[in-house]
Amino acid sequence: MGLSKQKKLEMFGKMVKIRFFEERIVDLYARGLVPGLAHLYIGEEAVAVGACANLRDDDYITSTHRGHGHVIAKGGDVRSMMAELFGKTTGYCKGKGGSMHIADVNIGILGANGIAGGGLPIAVGAGLSAKYRKTDQVTICFFGDGASNNGTFHESLNLAAVHGLPVIFTCENNQYGISTAQKTHQTIKDVSVRSTAYDIPGVTVDGNDVMAVYEAINEAVQRARSGKGPSLVECKTYRWRGHHEGDPNLGERYRSREDIKPWIEKCPITRFEKLLLKEKVLTQAKIDGIKEAGKKEIDEAVEFANNSSFPKHEEIYQDVFQEEMGGSR
Amino acid sequence: MATEVVIPMLGITVERGKILKWFKSEGDRVEKGESIFEVEAEKVTTEVESPASGILKKILVHENIEVPVLTLVGVITSEGEEIPEKYLTIAPPKEETPTTMVPAASPEVSQRMASETSGQIRVVPAARKAARESGIDLSSISGSGPGGTILKKDVENSIALLRREGVALKGKETRATPLAKRLAEKQGILLDMVKGTGPGGRVTKMDVVKALEIRKAPTPAEAPAEMLFGKTIPMSRMRKVIARRMSQSAFTAPHISFFSDVDMGKLVQVRKEILADFEDQFGVRISINDFIIKAVGLTIREYPMLNASVDGENIRINPEINVGLAVAMDEGLIVPAIPHADRLGLGDIATMRVDLVERARKGKLTMEEIERGTFTVSSLAQFDITFFTAILNPPQCGILTVGKMDEKLSLVNGKVKARQVTQCGLSVDHRIIDGAVASAFLQALKKELENPSDEFLQL
Amino acid sequence: MREISYAQAINEALRENMRRNSRIILMGEDIGRYGGIFQVTAGLLDEFGPERVIDTPISESGFVGTCVGAAMTGLHPVAEVMFIDFTTCAMDMIVNQMAKMHYMSGGRGKVPFVLRTNIGAGRGAAAQHSQSFHSFFMHIPGLKVATPATPYDAKGLMNTALADENPVMFIEHKKLFITKGHVPEEAYAIPFGKADIKREGTDITIVATHALVQKSLNVAEEMSREGVEIEVLDPRTITPLDKEAILNSVKKTGKLITADEGCLTGGFGSEVAAIVAQEAFDYLEAPIMRVGSPDTPVPFSPPLEQFYIPDEGSIKDAVSRILAYQ
Repeated sequence: MGLSKQKKLEMFGKMVKIRFFEERIVDLYARGLVPGLAHLYIGEEAVAVGACANLRDDDYITSTHRGHGHVIAKGGDVRSMMAELFGKTTGYCKGKGGSMHIADVNIGILGANGIAGGGLPIAVGAGLSAKYRKTDQVTICFFGDGASNNGTFHESLNLAAVHGLPVIFTCENNQYGISTAQKTHQTIKDVSVRSTAYDIPGVTVDGNDVMAVYEAINEAVQRARSGKGPSLVECKTYRWRGHHEGDPNLGERYRSREDIKPWIEKCPITRFEKLLLKEKVLTQAKIDGIKEAGKKEIDEAVEFANNSSFPKHEEIYQDVFQEEMGGSR
Repeated sequence: MATEVVIPMLGITVERGKILKWFKSEGDRVEKGESIFEVEAEKVTTEVESPASGILKKILVHENIEVPVLTLVGVITSEGEEIPEKYLTIAPPKEETPTTMVPAASPEVSQRMASETSGQIRVVPAARKAARESGIDLSSISGSGPGGTILKKDVENSIALLRREGVALKGKETRATPLAKRLAEKQGILLDMVKGTGPGGRVTKMDVVKALEIRKAPTPAEAPAEMLFGKTIPMSRMRKVIARRMSQSAFTAPHISFFSDVDMGKLVQVRKEILADFEDQFGVRISINDFIIKAVGLTIREYPMLNASVDGENIRINPEINVGLAVAMDEGLIVPAIPHADRLGLGDIATMRVDLVERARKGKLTMEEIERGTFTVSSLAQFDITFFTAILNPPQCGILTVGKMDEKLSLVNGKVKARQVTQCGLSVDHRIIDGAVASAFLQALKKELENPSDEFLQL
Repeated sequence: MREISYAQAINEALRENMRRNSRIILMGEDIGRYGGIFQVTAGLLDEFGPERVIDTPISESGFVGTCVGAAMTGLHPVAEVMFIDFTTCAMDMIVNQMAKMHYMSGGRGKVPFVLRTNIGAGRGAAAQHSQSFHSFFMHIPGLKVATPATPYDAKGLMNTALADENPVMFIEHKKLFITKGHVPEEAYAIPFGKADIKREGTDITIVATHALVQKSLNVAEEMSREGVEIEVLDPRTITPLDKEAILNSVKKTGKLITADEGCLTGGFGSEVAAIVAQEAFDYLEAPIMRVGSPDTPVPFSPPLEQFYIPDEGSIKDAVSRILAYQ
């Protein structure tokens, strides 16, 4: 395996952090401490982590409404994330964005997006910009099976293909667009077949196998970095909880608990844990240590968020526009 | 550590929920993630998972009670842990009656709107502002705009004309040169009657001289009778206003009139007795009109409808009783009002009456002194007029006429007696005052005048 | 001073800024080889090459969104949407992404992006190619909206747009592209939020945009001979709006007409009327009149289309209604 032990530890740590973050949100949300909407990533950790493990800080990602996993995987700080979810001024977006719009342009996170398919053209823009500026930055564009039907999917893949842009279109196929099962919203089984329509490479992998995701994305990233253009990588996965917190009984309106069970058994974290133990990359003690650390980090994030203040009313009017004039440079 | 179990957020719009079934009882062991109870909200049943592993030490909300979302329903402690004190003293929820949202108070009705949109007057905003600032009554202005809308120029013209007529308006003090001021004072000319042509609209000496020349020309009232025959005299601004207002009053309010003979004997007697001392004390001679004004004020207190005005389909009862006294001038009638006539002593009434009448004759009244009137007394006692009817002073709904005082013979208990009798008349707006009320008022007034009470005679 | 056309003025502004600022790239349909259907981008492909002047497929949502992403990652793109009617195909990218990125990200993600498009009927282009709903964009916080009426204003406003790090909707007018005017050769900028009083007057204020500016001036000329002096105020940008200039003008004249080519209901004029009614209420001497297009789609048939477009006649109607209050 080309991956260093250190790297694998990092990846494992991130998956655990995502899981704990999201589980904490379940509890906080139930208690009414997190306002607004929450779309949780539990069960899909391997996709975000496996993909982002290929990226540098100066690479870009665009995310979706279910973006906490992507943001953490790309290096987002859980304190700022938690504060943003609580709507506090210390949040990533000063409390102005909320869960679906978390962004940190400094580490290339061009925003979670509340519009299905909203991030695709923006990712193309980042790719165009990188190509124009002649850097080897790449952009991973996360989107779901639902968004793959949206007009922006087609326009974006086409534009990226025509201009040979360094964009890796990463479809997290969790088999549902809210309550609509994939088999009822598209006739194809694998979203990756759509790549042929744009004459770009396309591949489907097991989205719950973090190493498989890593490898598929790795190939696409290398292709992009060397100027060979965009790719489409589909990761099959599943979300354990409902579409949003408040979707009754874990999505019971459109699926049964029996459907969820096999996916829980394929838990990406458990699988990676087993692999790492087998490869002797980790010991059980080490694993427990990482989990302890993860839990502690989340606790600190919650405390940070709790102790932070809400924005004052006047702040409503701030940041509508950028105040400093830029200009020809 | 104890973990609180709450009814979780069930969806953005869900506010209340009801536990249908507890899957665990007090004292049972629960595991984190295990279903602990089932809650119903808006026809959806959701299974809620335990937030922690431990013992379900206390259930605070039992089945089938509807409570708000996030209500504390149970407490989980670790094995062997005692339940914290605070959870033991929480009272179980009563069945709450759902409160319906009471709509917020209806939007404030602008006082200004209510008082200014009298009837059908249409006014452009700039005109309204100009009228407000100069204290002009919009109902005294006729509009030259479309549909009779009062335009800014109509108000401006009105202000200019009223100034010339001698009515002092609200607003800035007239600026005049010292020379102009001295001359105006000497000649008895009102500075704000004079149009200023100096810098910043200042009144100069030349302006005062011009105004004096204008004044020299006789008004129709001053001109000798023979000069008038065959002449066509344009109405003065004031005459126009009077003509319009009297027509408006006569044609809008159906007038009915009532008459009563009032024995003024006692009042005449009282007046004679107090006259000298009164003059010493107040510096003015008390007149019968003063008594009448006071009596009217007191009587209106008992008959508030006489203090009213018609406002569309509403009857507005004025809060203050301000009795006006009609003053005849060459150009026409003007009616300044004594404020709170029911509450002032005769001394104040007489003093004010003297001042108002004097200033009325000099054209020095303010619009407020005229506009505040709620009832009018019109006396022709100085003429040989037995009784007369009067037209209501809009928007008032009552006017008292006072004829001459005459010595009359009448039978009292079979004996012939001489009495000093004045015929008083009462005209009212029959839209809001019927015969019974008018008669009762007039009767009560007569009673007060014939048998003055102590309050009446208070100086 | 030389005279050039409105289209040439914009071309010049784009060209000069692209020479100075390598961050600027252009994207749009038929803007490169064809030079743009109104020739606004003529010659730019030759000078700057296909990397900077990109002919896109018919993908408004795609390329407008691409410009948003490019703006967030270091470039200053200028997109052309062929007619304002087609902005509907990119509405999510404009309203939910372009306008809101800066705010939603708490100021971390800026979008320096100029979206050029055009309004105006009169070319028989019919209902889907002739609308003037620029007031939509006034309604969306986070967008600046420029509305140049003259070649001079067009160049000055484009210079400012390209120096602004915010999203700008640059609304041109189809029938103004060929109009000519004096335009300085050197660079100059017209600040956003500064109206231009194109004619001073004392009797009536007309706040006009685009083609209605010249039409208002024509009416003012005529009415002057009858002793009525009309003040014509061109806001130049509807967001930010120079409220102060408008209010001062109405306080002077007491009478207001708004003239904008959008449909009457919910158009730019309605917003100006509301502002004036609220903040200059006591100064109004006559009702506020709005001149705009009828509340219908743009008809095709030439006599109907001519009737549709607000012109000197419509403005004179409004003037005479107001004069009844003079």
